[in-house]
Amino acid sequence: MRGRIVLAVIVALICATAPIMPAFTLTLVTEALIFGLFAMSLDLMVGYTRLYSFGHAAAYGLGAYSTALILLHFGLPLPIGILAGVAVSVVIAVPIAWVCTRSTGVSFAMLTLAFAQLGYAMLYRFKEFTGGSDGIGGIPRPAGPFGLDFFQGKVGYFYLVMFCLAASFVLCSVLVTSPFGAVLAGIRENEAKTRALGYNTRAYKIAVVVVAYGLGSLAGALYTPFAGFVAPELFFWLVSGRVLIMVVVGGAGTLIGPIIGGVFFVMLEHQLSEVTELWPLAFGAIFIAFVILAPEGIWGLLTRYLRTTQPEPRDAGQEASSAAS
Amino acid sequence: MNVAGFLAAQSLNALSQGAILFFIACGLTLIFGIMRIINFAHGGLFMLGAYVGYSTVAWTGSFWASLLFAPLVVGVVGGIFEKVLLARLYARQDSGAYLMVTFGLAIILAETIRLIWGPQPLSVPIPDRLRGIVLIGNQPFPIYRLFLIGMGSAAALLTWQFLERTRAGLLVRAVAQNAEMVHALGTDVSAVRTGVFALGCAMAALGGVLSAPLLTAFLGMGTNVIIDAFVIVIIGGMGSFLGSIIGSVLVAFVQVFGSYYFEDLALAMMYLLMLAILIVRPGGMLGKEE
Amino acid sequence: MKESTQTRLSRRTLVRAASAATAMLASPKLLRIAAAATPIKIGIPTVITGGYAVLGSHVMRTCKLVEKMMGAKGVLGRPIEFLYRDTQGNAADCVRKSQELVERDDCRLIAGVVVSSEARAIMPKLAEWKAFFISHGCGDGLLTTKEFLVPNFFRANTSAPMGARTLALYLKDAPEQNFIALGSDYAWGRSSVGAFEEQIKAVGKNLVDKVFTPVGNKDYSTYITKLIQSGAQGCYLALQGDEARSFFLQATQYELTKRLQLFTEIVAQADIRTFGKDAIGMLGSSRYAFTYDVPENKKFTQAFLAEYKEVPDWTDGEMYQALHILFAAIEKADSIEADKLVPAMENLEVSSVKGPILMRQCDHQGENQGFVVKVAASSKYPEPIPEIVKIYPREMITPDCLSTSYKTTG
Repeated sequence: MRGRIVLAVIVALICATAPIMPAFTLTLVTEALIFGLFAMSLDLMVGYTRLYSFGHAAAYGLGAYSTALILLHFGLPLPIGILAGVAVSVVIAVPIAWVCTRSTGVSFAMLTLAFAQLGYAMLYRFKEFTGGSDGIGGIPRPAGPFGLDFFQGKVGYFYLVMFCLAASFVLCSVLVTSPFGAVLAGIRENEAKTRALGYNTRAYKIAVVVVAYGLGSLAGALYTPFAGFVAPELFFWLVSGRVLIMVVVGGAGTLIGPIIGGVFFVMLEHQLSEVTELWPLAFGAIFIAFVILAPEGIWGLLTRYLRTTQPEPRDAGQEASSAAS
Repeated sequence: MNVAGFLAAQSLNALSQGAILFFIACGLTLIFGIMRIINFAHGGLFMLGAYVGYSTVAWTGSFWASLLFAPLVVGVVGGIFEKVLLARLYARQDSGAYLMVTFGLAIILAETIRLIWGPQPLSVPIPDRLRGIVLIGNQPFPIYRLFLIGMGSAAALLTWQFLERTRAGLLVRAVAQNAEMVHALGTDVSAVRTGVFALGCAMAALGGVLSAPLLTAFLGMGTNVIIDAFVIVIIGGMGSFLGSIIGSVLVAFVQVFGSYYFEDLALAMMYLLMLAILIVRPGGMLGKEE
Repeated sequence: MKESTQTRLSRRTLVRAASAATAMLASPKLLRIAAAATPIKIGIPTVITGGYAVLGSHVMRTCKLVEKMMGAKGVLGRPIEFLYRDTQGNAADCVRKSQELVERDDCRLIAGVVVSSEARAIMPKLAEWKAFFISHGCGDGLLTTKEFLVPNFFRANTSAPMGARTLALYLKDAPEQNFIALGSDYAWGRSSVGAFEEQIKAVGKNLVDKVFTPVGNKDYSTYITKLIQSGAQGCYLALQGDEARSFFLQATQYELTKRLQLFTEIVAQADIRTFGKDAIGMLGSSRYAFTYDVPENKKFTQAFLAEYKEVPDWTDGEMYQALHILFAAIEKADSIEADKLVPAMENLEVSSVKGPILMRQCDHQGENQGFVVKVAASSKYPEPIPEIVKIYPREMITPDCLSTSYKTTG
């Protein structure tokens, strides 16, 4: 509980200071939040259902490119364009989810990878639409509905991203604490048993993959007007690997952990890459260390620390609420 | 234009590419068969082999020495990695953890190589005896590529013999089928695992050394090749040695003839093939189902 | 008692200090010295790691040499400071690093971008950033057409259409009749091959086929075989960096040069070095040849040789030229602000390492002469060198305004 309060305070602070932040910091924070959303979307699959995906870049890329093409060719208001991009991605995600969930474990991971790489290859095939290796540039931020131009500016866009992240977080929290989430947990712990209890685990898996891709594509859709540019690298497997790292290092299965992982990663990458050439090396080592020694990730470590330093609960009510956090 | 000559030339191109792919795919599939791990670091080990090969040639002036030394060094590196890091994860029965640790290793390998050898590509000259061309029909074909095909075939043959005819090979196959039983019979299964992992790494490294004169040793060598290797292992069947041979040849032919006739589709065709096979047989063509 | 003395003293000290400071600050001479001390920052988002890292390393070494040559005097009395950033040849990273340069480092002059796709990505953002971008090596012809051109962008270098045009003019009298083209499958490669196709047909020759290889391709065996089997006598190449290196290495193994005459849009010393003896006889359009005998180039080449013990490559020369032009514009505008630099650079003419260059107003393209070179053995240098065999005037080489064609140039 304490951890969440601390987090809420930090978030409120960031939101309050956004209008006065220097441009560069605001850009960095916005990008960090987008990645946080991307990482959280993967957590639904990896952390809650133990579906390891090495192709989540596909979700990101789909959202990014769909939104790019929609904004470029149809000039819809910005928020509508983003939503439209997500809608397209969700539609495409359904057959992907259906095919991938035919397998489990490593095969599943390889299938997701195959789809992401296929997406990458398709971008080159249809280069008249997608610009091939050059990507698509000059993507506009059209005025919002009813001539609202708030989101076109840096600060406005930051609030849009923050809002999407918060809304997605709420959605995910509701999902994982609902009966649906309980089944996911069942699949995570022992799929055979869950199936034996009468649940159509395949359908649940498809659903969680589609939701994960949907939110991942939202992150991609938010990225496009942010950068004004999309390129095939967005689909490349290194992106999938990176977001997986964010989830694990942040703390899989906690929703908040991966957000922190994503934010942490972007911040560190920006700051450290200026300071030292050894950054990727340290990064790889940190990742391995977390996997082996601290699989609960940063958030897991933090909440453990905060819980152990919490004062003795006064009564049963408090005890119950702290146990639930 | 001589059609037979054309087909022959492009087929040989495909076989030479397939040979290199085989070295990586074979190691990958052996490792998977034993440990159910998809080794993400395999591309990095391939690259390490190329760089160690370069240094060996630079120190000793002998390309042949590098063919021995590089796989040895990288095999040891792989063995150590397995012993120190991967072995800790067996108890966890968490396939995801393996994927991620090997992915982390891939990153570390790439960076370490860059720090030691620098960012510039490094040339490895073809040994004098292997220079020049032969004429197939009237098409030129480099002798070095024939050498590659020869090496690939020899390696395939030797590995097959090892697996089928030797006691060690028998152990490897047994552990792949049922590790617990083998352990109960008194064999040190963890030693077999370390050995196979090291062998797989050594093969990848050999592939790296062999491809260096063709492509030079450069950063990023591993990144694309690892995807090709995954595709091959999946198409051929995860854990199937024969599958890795078939897969390598198949993928190489698809790439060569695909890019000749359908430039735009070449990249996509490989992944479409991979998807098609996975949909029909989730374990790959000759693989054991997950 | 003590306290009041202290207070009086401190107040007096304060007033004295304040008046002294104000006097100092108000003095115009000191103001100018203060401004002069601050360096002019030039952002270099270039390829430090990645497939085109060789080109990025050349950009940086030339910048370092220029920094040394300019010294403290610099431009407008201010020293030059280069801020290097690694884009890895990745357009999205280039956008990000350039944005950082503008927002975090307050640096609004951008140069040294290697890859044409990177240029395409940052050009739409220049107005928003109030930044100025001069290209030293982006060859995509479309950058100076209506599709991509923006006011704050200038191209000092020879573009791909210009290179193709130079070569095609020369090939008009060459013995080869049938050509095949091989290019890297992205903005520059397609522009180069497309321009060559147009130009070679205009001089009455035949293009049998054009082949595009994926960016980052390693094994060229399939394509080399295709070239050999095409029946063409000449092959036009539009490859750079690691791709060129791999191609040349493997082409040597197939003894390609015994069957086809190779022509390249860019003659890079680094590639000549890879190719070795097999490079001898290769013909190409050169964006910059260190062998060009004009005083400005002699000076540059000597300084370069003294510093790096190596002859300058095409990127070195083009980067030097771009910086030279940028500094000339800054001096003329007496400012580093983009909206003042634009009119200053338009119609600017300089005497550069490549001869006389005119920065055209209509499409911000630098009018460069066209150089055809042939790689020849050298007694003076340890490696083959590009010898200039023909020079075409800049009016013949530079395309029509805002275009990649030569309808009015003839």
